Amino acid sequence: MAFSKEAYRELEDIVGERHISNDPAFLDSYAFQWLAELVRPNFSHYMPRPVAVIMPACTEEVQRIIKLCNKYRVKAKPISTGWYHWAAPLKEDEETLQIDLRRMNRILEIDERNRYAVVEPYVICAQLQAEVMKLGLNINIIGAGASTSIVASACAYAGMGPSSFWMGNNSDNLLGMEWVTPEGEIIRTGSLGSGNGWFCGEGPGPSVRGICRGWVGSRGGLGVYTKCAIKLAHWPGPTEYQVKGTLPGYRLPIQENFRVYTLAAPTWDAWADIYYKIYDNEIGYIFHRQYALAGADLGPALWLTYIDPEKTLNDVEEAVKRKDIQDLTEELRISFQFIMAGRSIREIELQDKILDQILKETGGWKVQRYCEKDMAEFTNTYMQRLGHKHMNFVWVGGYLGSWMQTGTPDWVKGYVPVAIKGLYRDAAGGNLVQCGGDALMGNGSSIAGGGNMGLEQFVSYDPADNASVAAGTQHMRDAIVDAVANGFPPGKEAMYLQVGESDEQIWNALRRTPQPLAFHFQRKIKEAFDPNNVGDRMYATLPSEGKP
Amino acid sequence: MALEDYRADALRCTRCAYCKWIPFDLIKSWRFSKGCPSVEYNHFHSYSAGGRLVTALSLMDGRSTVTEAVKESVFKCQMCGNCDVTCKMCRYDMWPIEALHELRFRLVDQGHGLAQHQPVMKGFRSLSNMLNKPKSKRGDWAEGLDLKRLSKHKSKLLFHAGCQYSHDPDLREAVRNAAELLKKAGVDFAILGADESCCGGRAYHMGYKADYQAAAERNLKIWADAGVETVVTPCADCYHTFKRLYPESGSSVAVIHMVELIDRLLKQGKISFTKALPMRVTYHDPCYLGRQGEPYVAWKGKEKKIFGQAVVYDPPRPRYNGAKGVYQPPRDVLMAIPGLELVEMERNREAAWCCGAGGGVREAYPEYSMWTASERLEEAKSVGADALASACPWCEKNFADAATRNGTKIKIVDIIELVYQAL
Ligand SMILES: Cc1cc2nc3c(=O)[nH]c(=O)nc-3n(C[C@H](O)[C@H](O)[C@@H](O)COP(=O)(O)OP(=O)(O)OC[C@H]3O[C@@H](n4cnc5c(N)ncnc54)[C@H](O)[C@@H]3O)c2cc1C
Ligand code: SF4
Ligand code: SF4
Repeated sequence: MAFSKEAYRELEDIVGERHISNDPAFLDSYAFQWLAELVRPNFSHYMPRPVAVIMPACTEEVQRIIKLCNKYRVKAKPISTGWYHWAAPLKEDEETLQIDLRRMNRILEIDERNRYAVVEPYVICAQLQAEVMKLGLNINIIGAGASTSIVASACAYAGMGPSSFWMGNNSDNLLGMEWVTPEGEIIRTGSLGSGNGWFCGEGPGPSVRGICRGWVGSRGGLGVYTKCAIKLAHWPGPTEYQVKGTLPGYRLPIQENFRVYTLAAPTWDAWADIYYKIYDNEIGYIFHRQYALAGADLGPALWLTYIDPEKTLNDVEEAVKRKDIQDLTEELRISFQFIMAGRSIREIELQDKILDQILKETGGWKVQRYCEKDMAEFTNTYMQRLGHKHMNFVWVGGYLGSWMQTGTPDWVKGYVPVAIKGLYRDAAGGNLVQCGGDALMGNGSSIAGGGNMGLEQFVSYDPADNASVAAGTQHMRDAIVDAVANGFPPGKEAMYLQVGESDEQIWNALRRTPQPLAFHFQRKIKEAFDPNNVGDRMYATLPSEGKP
Repeated sequence: MALEDYRADALRCTRCAYCKWIPFDLIKSWRFSKGCPSVEYNHFHSYSAGGRLVTALSLMDGRSTVTEAVKESVFKCQMCGNCDVTCKMCRYDMWPIEALHELRFRLVDQGHGLAQHQPVMKGFRSLSNMLNKPKSKRGDWAEGLDLKRLSKHKSKLLFHAGCQYSHDPDLREAVRNAAELLKKAGVDFAILGADESCCGGRAYHMGYKADYQAAAERNLKIWADAGVETVVTPCADCYHTFKRLYPESGSSVAVIHMVELIDRLLKQGKISFTKALPMRVTYHDPCYLGRQGEPYVAWKGKEKKIFGQAVVYDPPRPRYNGAKGVYQPPRDVLMAIPGLELVEMERNREAAWCCGAGGGVREAYPEYSMWTASERLEEAKSVGADALASACPWCEKNFADAATRNGTKIKIVDIIELVYQAL
């Protein structure tokens, strides 16, 4: 059965005519996604167009919609804020209904005593952070920043950010969710599932974290998460985010019990040592190699230009010629941002002493210019709320992430020189932004307490220039070759490229992974929960091929 | 520029959704975090700046056509400019509000203007105002004030009242107060009275560029003939039109908003307050005085690439990101009034929520317009304000209508009235 007028009418009955559309231009606004041009035929900026877009207001409406998708054999693709190409339909040849969850936008509960908040999919990180800060609490904002949905990062995809070192990954912070399965059942997970509230994600009650979530997440391929509870962390800062200054370089004053540093190391070995020592000594609150995203050759020129409201990108060209900026650029080559928060003045002083000792032992240093008031307050603003994450695209509106294989610092430092060399080589032709081979950004740790991290190579290309887009795609292929040749698994670029690949190509890649059995296992989950194949293919499976 | 000139903007839009919110660093609560009235009320992505860029692209590429839904999505937006501020927070190569204007111009040129706008545009063309009021009545607000007329006297300073102040009896007091205040301060100025005509700004925002252009040329000629060097206006819409749009049409006349002039007069000691106004007041930044009220900077240039692919402009292009709007003068004026306590709403200055009246929305989509105003009234109430003051008659009218409709007990006042009462 195909998507018919009748199907549309039935859907309209659920949400009312104001909340469903099949106008081609409206549908294009959902098909249009950044990154699409890298993997779609003819550099198209569009993913496949959905047959309609629908906006439910509550779980029951989502359930009825999913049941209709089963009835009419139409794929269902949920979208929260939609900042990724896999929030769009992925299959050209299968009709997909886009379920835009933006009407489900409430913070349902903040339990201060038990430190969790219950939210709907269109609550964004900035909103929840602002509310919980009033209570002396905080949330882990993922690296994509303030604009993203908490439900999306907790239940559906990834979940790590600069604060994960202290607050954990959102996959861990997930304390239960309400899940409309691909068949339209409503499952409440963890302690919620046994009527005991939202305090624990694993029970008493059904635990499905591994099925729905795992490390990467089901990415809209296994039903819709309509609510979740997220764990809150302590926040020893102000109850209101009171920034000063002029946009875009707003500044958050640094409280007495906070320290905001940019730290640098003489070598990548020393850099890794600093990371381990930070883990071991349990200091720090926000830990991220952030400013590197602009590239090691241009970063300081860009950031010091950015915080000056009088300047524009043109000024970067002059800034890079300045001797002080050139010196700073050298000083910052192997650096990262580090914010410490003390629950008391004595505690922050202790953390300071420990940090000084770590730097002494490793040969590291505090980068003075970035620790001065203007830049430090800007760093404080940037890192605590992550409200400037669109800076990923500052050079020209297109960025792709390559590498980003996660592991221990000692392992990650191994691919750093390969990644640096690869980007210098691929940008040499001028079709990618030439900001330096090291545009490696990444959090200090993507799990609480340290131990697992990654660096993502920020490759900027112009989406409005096909030659530049082609260079971006070529870079992704090159990065895979570089990785494999140097004994590393393919990184993030492989995930991007998959979006443009056929099922057979994806299966071939999955078969070559160390444990293909995992994808057979996921097939069985899919068969059990999604017999009508309503979810899209981002929930990765391998066909049975006689396997159990 | 033409719509095609914004094609690259559309292709470089990342769908980040920043344009739907106020700058994230300024968010203080869930309730008042939203920045784009259009997408908040209508929900589909197409009702945001990013969504409209895709609509423009899709139309240019022939992937879709202008349907009623498309028309509505293009015109059901106040052109408030919040999206422009938030997009530019991290981008130097995006010009969303300019692209939205070009999309409207294109639709209007192709005969897809809104039916609801036609009576207003007819009035604009024949009566030279946006309210369908008799032309002859335009100068009535000044009756009995004995003001100099530009038709009879040359004057370097013109006081331009604007359509709304001239024709709306509810707003008359404010504009009369403004004129009296200027006289008291010894400012030499003239008015055009019945000869004054619409600035054309609202026609521009509705998509009628040629009509705007005709109005601009007419006004500029009158001003030039009379030797006008500076125009002062109490209307934020007129201010923006004169300050930002007229220079493109050849104007070199200086433009100042009445509230800026009051601020100057206070600071120069030419007026001073003698009475206390013990009230708690919150100030609403009109979009066209605040984030869109930045001074015009002439620019003609083109895109160029540096460092391989990074986009800059040759010569450097003015930023217009809302940083240099008129924010402080109205606040300084209010704070100078004895007894008056100024309280800020959460969304203020560049992050102010729109009053709902702009972009032809008041005329075409009254329900949506009232909803937008009501949202602001809720915000004003949330800070315990007795009164909501503004510096634009369109804002005030919309707020007053919404307050009456909802039974909201908050005074809507013009900043000029407060000043006048305290003199
Ligand atoms: C510039 C950039 C940087 C990023 N950096 C990081 C990072 O550092 N750390 C990190 O963890 N992630 C990162 N991401 C990925 C990010 O986590 C995801 O894009 C995402 O969860 C963001 O939230 P969203 O609201 O935009 O999700 P969407 O784009 O709406 O959705 C993301 C995926 O989850 C699915 N989904 C969304 N909501 C639901 C729901 N309610 N039920 C079921 N499925 C759903 C969608 O179908 C889609 O596949 C980055 C993304 C971008 C664009
Ligand atoms: S218009 Fe700007 S802010 Fe809006 S989605 Fe596009 S890039 Fe982001
Ligand atoms: S101008 Fe205002 S209403 Fe229109 S899209 Fe931008 S923010 Fe929304």
